[in-house]
Amino acid sequence: MSKRRNWFCGSEEHRISRRGFLGTAAATAGSMSALNLLREPALAAELKKQDKRVILLWLAGGASQLETWDPKPRRPTGGPFAAIPTSVPGIHISELMPKMARCMDDTAIIRSLNTKDGSHGGAARMMHLGRRDEATVQFPDLGAVLARELGSRDSKVPDNVSFYTATEGRGNAVGQAGFLGARYLPMSLTTNSRPEDLARLESISDLEHKQRHELRELLSNRFIEYRHSNSLRSHNEAYSRVRGLMSSDKLFDISEEPQSIRERYGPSLFAEQCLIARRLVEAGTPFVKVSRAWWDSHGQNFETHLELVSELDHVMSVLLDDLKQRGLLENTMVVTLSEFGRTPQINASLGRDHFASAWSCTLSGCGIKGGMVYGATDEDGQTVKDGEIDAGDLFATIYMALGIDPHSEYYVGSRPIPLVHEEASAVTEVLA
Amino acid sequence: MALARQCALLMRLGCFILAIAFLVSNVPSAIFGDELLPEDRSIAEVVDHYVSARLKQEKIQPAPTADDANVLRRTTLDLAGRIPTSSETANYLADTDEYKRQNLINRLIGSPAFVRHQVNEFDALLMPDSKTSLREYLLPAFAENRPWDQMYREIMLGQEDDPEQKGALQFVKTRVSDLDRLTNDVSVTFFGVNVSCAQCHDHPDVFEWSQDRFFGMKSFFNRTFDNGGLLGEREYGLVSYQTTKGETREARLMFLTGTVLEEPEFSEPDDEAKKEEKKMLEELKKQKQAPPAPRFSRREQLVEVALRSGENNYFAKAIVNKVWNRFFGCGLVMPLDQMHPENPASHPELLEWLARDLVNHNFNLTRLVRGIVSSEAYCRSSIWTGDSRPDPDMFAVGSVRPLTPYQYATLLRVATANPDLLGTDQKADDVETRLGNLEIAARGLAQKIEHPGTDFQIGVAEALLFSNNERIRNELLRDSNDMLIGKLKKIGDTSELVRMATMSIWNRLPDPDEQAALVGYLEGRADHRDEAIGQMVWAMLTGSECRFNY
Repeated sequence: MSKRRNWFCGSEEHRISRRGFLGTAAATAGSMSALNLLREPALAAELKKQDKRVILLWLAGGASQLETWDPKPRRPTGGPFAAIPTSVPGIHISELMPKMARCMDDTAIIRSLNTKDGSHGGAARMMHLGRRDEATVQFPDLGAVLARELGSRDSKVPDNVSFYTATEGRGNAVGQAGFLGARYLPMSLTTNSRPEDLARLESISDLEHKQRHELRELLSNRFIEYRHSNSLRSHNEAYSRVRGLMSSDKLFDISEEPQSIRERYGPSLFAEQCLIARRLVEAGTPFVKVSRAWWDSHGQNFETHLELVSELDHVMSVLLDDLKQRGLLENTMVVTLSEFGRTPQINASLGRDHFASAWSCTLSGCGIKGGMVYGATDEDGQTVKDGEIDAGDLFATIYMALGIDPHSEYYVGSRPIPLVHEEASAVTEVLA
Repeated sequence: MALARQCALLMRLGCFILAIAFLVSNVPSAIFGDELLPEDRSIAEVVDHYVSARLKQEKIQPAPTADDANVLRRTTLDLAGRIPTSSETANYLADTDEYKRQNLINRLIGSPAFVRHQVNEFDALLMPDSKTSLREYLLPAFAENRPWDQMYREIMLGQEDDPEQKGALQFVKTRVSDLDRLTNDVSVTFFGVNVSCAQCHDHPDVFEWSQDRFFGMKSFFNRTFDNGGLLGEREYGLVSYQTTKGETREARLMFLTGTVLEEPEFSEPDDEAKKEEKKMLEELKKQKQAPPAPRFSRREQLVEVALRSGENNYFAKAIVNKVWNRFFGCGLVMPLDQMHPENPASHPELLEWLARDLVNHNFNLTRLVRGIVSSEAYCRSSIWTGDSRPDPDMFAVGSVRPLTPYQYATLLRVATANPDLLGTDQKADDVETRLGNLEIAARGLAQKIEHPGTDFQIGVAEALLFSNNERIRNELLRDSNDMLIGKLKKIGDTSELVRMATMSIWNRLPDPDEQAALVGYLEGRADHRDEAIGQMVWAMLTGSECRFNY
């Protein structure tokens, strides 16, 4: 049997194509700039999208659902940690998360992911794209789509930021703008918490820097006056954003925050980057990813999770609380996600291995009905018993919660490509 | 592993072909009748004939020919992957020979830089977004202007024990772990057809794109495997798939044209034989030996059928279209991977004629390149002052194409070198060597720049890099004697200084407005003139004029 992959090409067999009523315009629209014109979003939905943001907490290597959101106490697969009740009657989570247990009201737990891919590389890509790459189409990832859908073209703040300072798994979780183009690639931070090339070199004064930019613009404007290409426009747009983005450099500087806030978040790198993420979304950045690595606990799973889950519990609860106090939570969604979960089976090294058939993630804040659990696994966590969803369904849910129609399409050449694969549908139960 | 005895007989009979009556043809339009221009015309003449005919038909007056400096820059970037030096520009502008453009094309095509640039371009074509490169194989191939059909054969079937061909196999090796991708990449790269849609269902718009065809194409590769870094091919194995109606089918060896190839019968080895095979392969892995060649190679059948007269239309047209796209920023068929009958070319006869010419001239790519850049259509100005801009596929106005990372990084190096070192008074060999060294020095920066795809959007990361990265300052804006800025600082006459800067960076003389603006800029900063020169050079280098071939 050859593998059947789901490769959609906008044909009648899949779904009624829109090309019919869009006429030849769609067929000849090769340019990305024409994409938006080819959508017919309801104005209300457009307005709803304004000022929406997402912070993705990427738990690289695969966080265990059994030591976080889907504990199985007193079962052979359950491990040493107990389950504790939460602020929402009937919902129990791992005892490693006492702080989150006290504030489950804004968070929906999804316990029924079955994503089938247990390899770090393939799974990390899939959980970034919501689907598999095709041989010939490079899809944009969540960050690139949200930068495009929620950002503004000439934004003075970065519209897609990715923190990934650990080395583990970094190559798997790399930002991909695919057919949307480099304009939507993340500003990527891999060495420290300050972006590259955002600060002016000391060897040039601010005035000089500004003047040479102005001269550059003057000369380029002469050149482009009677010439045309989409790339040409993007080149000058990119330069026109430089000075504005440089002024956002201070957003990455947590010394600007009051001491009390910094102390609340705590000193860890993950905490500091989450604080920067909050500063960014506050300033209007639509998408920030903060990665925390080293969850790949093939050995010593319980020590690893004792350390990492405790940190996650603290930082996540502080972040949600901080966003809420500032009135940002209703427009900001916080997502916790890995490439997969971990096996219920505990191995000989007291570890848990890769497991993609029944695992959990959470959605909090913007557009989400908090204080609930969606889906369920069996008593040992071996299989999804109820409400099984895949990566595409999760992405559809995220888009819907942000007011983006997950089935709207981009055109690549004459081929319509919907935001999510065509069998995906949003989990309406968790939508506010 | 044993095959039936009659297999050998069958082999000797050769492949019996079941031709499904089907021909790839972009139906010639009614204007010209069915007659293509005769074979003995020059490529340039034919290009201009068909492009002009369509412009006349659409009543479009094309843009005038670009000025000499512009044509020189465009051609040099396209053929040598760099900009002309200050001296080359001055000489070309002063040259009164009526054949100067043809001489320029001949000189560039004869230069070592032409080979290097061809290698860069074809490496990007064959290995897009791949960390692996085919450079080692492509360099000698392009140095001897190896025919494209031979390169295709070597890329598909290169012998592991031939040091030169071994490198060609990287194309298959980097994709063999995902046969769907290998199938589609071969179809897209060599035949201009994206067959990925046909995996799950028959394409509704394109009668050609049936599942049979996708899995037929896949069948050419399904026996190919990687054995410890060396390619092998089995003598057994079929591709079976589920149709949209849910029935299970076994794919036949079917080429894109619908032609089905007969093959000798084989028998699936039993478990014992498979165990034996596995053992043998493990042993070969240890010895770093390639698995034995099969008596009947499916992969080889794809090479044979694709190049066969009457079947080679796809193969020839696909490369013509890609080469055309490289020089015009728009293919004769767009998108480049949709070359099927339902998606006709903008100039069907031209594509047909060029493909025929390529086949008749032994797939000589240099001939095709030379012909295209010799046409008038290639030389049109990219400035359009009229009210409605013609569609790009009219080729009425020059295109504005983003440079590749190598081109852009090399441009920056050549532009900022002290022009005296590249002058006419230097030994020609020395200049060639220096230019080669600048090209090598540019590689580091090239790594930081994205390769342009279709509808390429330049991201802010590039603009930030050029604005704030130390590297730009250190590599391009130094004021030492070997650098342009070092030279400019020593020039007292501001007008002269501006002229020298524009000749080096823009490969042209400034127009009066520019001259006035730049002179004014420098004179208004007389108290920190050196800094102002640096700002000016930076602004010129990062401006759109340097980022594009126009």
